[in-house]
Amino acid sequence: MERTLTDEDWKTCFAQLGPGLLLFARRWTNCRADAEDIVQEAFVRFWRRQHSIKNRALLYSAVRSAALDRLRSEQRRARREAAVALDGAEQVEPSFAAGDEGQQLLAAAVERLPNEQREVVIMKIWNELTFAEIANILEISQNTAASRYRYALGALKKALQPHE
Amino acid sequence: MNDFSELEAELKQLRPAPVADQLFARIERALARPEAAPSAGFLPRPSRRARAWWSLGLGLSGATALVLLGLTFFAEPPRPEPAIAEKTAAPSERLTSGFQPSALTQLVYRQRDEGLVFSPNQSERLLRRVRYDTRETMQWRNPRTGASLRVSYPAEQVVLTPVSFQ
Repeated sequence: MERTLTDEDWKTCFAQLGPGLLLFARRWTNCRADAEDIVQEAFVRFWRRQHSIKNRALLYSAVRSAALDRLRSEQRRARREAAVALDGAEQVEPSFAAGDEGQQLLAAAVERLPNEQREVVIMKIWNELTFAEIANILEISQNTAASRYRYALGALKKALQPHE
Repeated sequence: MNDFSELEAELKQLRPAPVADQLFARIERALARPEAAPSAGFLPRPSRRARAWWSLGLGLSGATALVLLGLTFFAEPPRPEPAIAEKTAAPSERLTSGFQPSALTQLVYRQRDEGLVFSPNQSERLLRRVRYDTRETMQWRNPRTGASLRVSYPAEQVVLTPVSFQ
C-alpha cells in the first residue's frame, strides 16, 4: 500500500533519499552546490504535488528534468565553459563518504565511469530502482538500462583487478 | 548466479555523501514559501508510450466525431426554411413614454407535421395538425432619443387544417 507524503515526514523521506538524489544529480555537475540546487528544486516541486513516497522513479525523473533545464540555461553553460577554460583542473568534490582504501578505490572507479553507465549504477545500487523504473526515467529500453549496468559493473571489476 | 554479486555487495557498502543540514533548511524555507505561479515545470512528462495512447485516443475520437458529423449532415432531410414574417406597427400604437413600435418579427425555427387527427368537436372529421415553434420579437424605438426596446419570447402555434378526400 502506497502512502502519501505528509507535512511531518518530508524530512524522513529526504533523509532517506537525499544522498542518492545528490549522487544522481552529480551526473550533470561536478559541483556539489549545483547538485544541491537541482535536488532542492526537484524535491520541493515533487513534495508540493504530493506524490507517493514510494514513487521514487518519479522523483528521479524530476531531478533529471531539473538538471537538464539547468544545463540548458545558456548563461550557466557559458559560465561553466568559461570556468573550465580558465581552470582545467576543476575541483571535484567527493560523492561518497570517506571509507577504507578499498572503498576509496571503488568510489574513484565509479566516478570514472561514463555518465550514462554511472547514472544507471547509482539508481540501481543506491536507490534500488528496477530496470523498468530506470528505463522509464531515462527514456530508454529496459534492455539498454540492463546493458549499461552490466557494462558498468564489468568496467568496475576490471578497474579493481590488481595490475600485474 | 550473477557474476557481479560480490561487486554489487561492495558497492552497497559505499555510502553516498550525506545531505548537509543546510540543504534541509533550504528545502524547509522553500516549502514554507507560497508556490510561485505555475511555470513550465519539470515534473516528469508522461512517457512516450502514454503520449502515444493519448494521441491515438484523441485521433480516434476526432475521426469518430467527423464521421458522425458527416452522417448527420448527409442523412438529415432538408429543413424548411425559417419563415420570417414582419410587420410594421401602425402609427396609432404609440406609447405614452415616447417609444413607438418599430418592428414585429416572427421567426419559425421548427415545423412539425404531426399527421392526421380527428376533430375534437366533430369526431368523424379529419384534420391535419402542424405545430410551429416560433420566436416572436417586438421592438419599440424612441425617435427622439434613439433608444430602443426589444422583447423576445418563444411561442408555439398549432394549426389544424381540414382534410377532404375526394
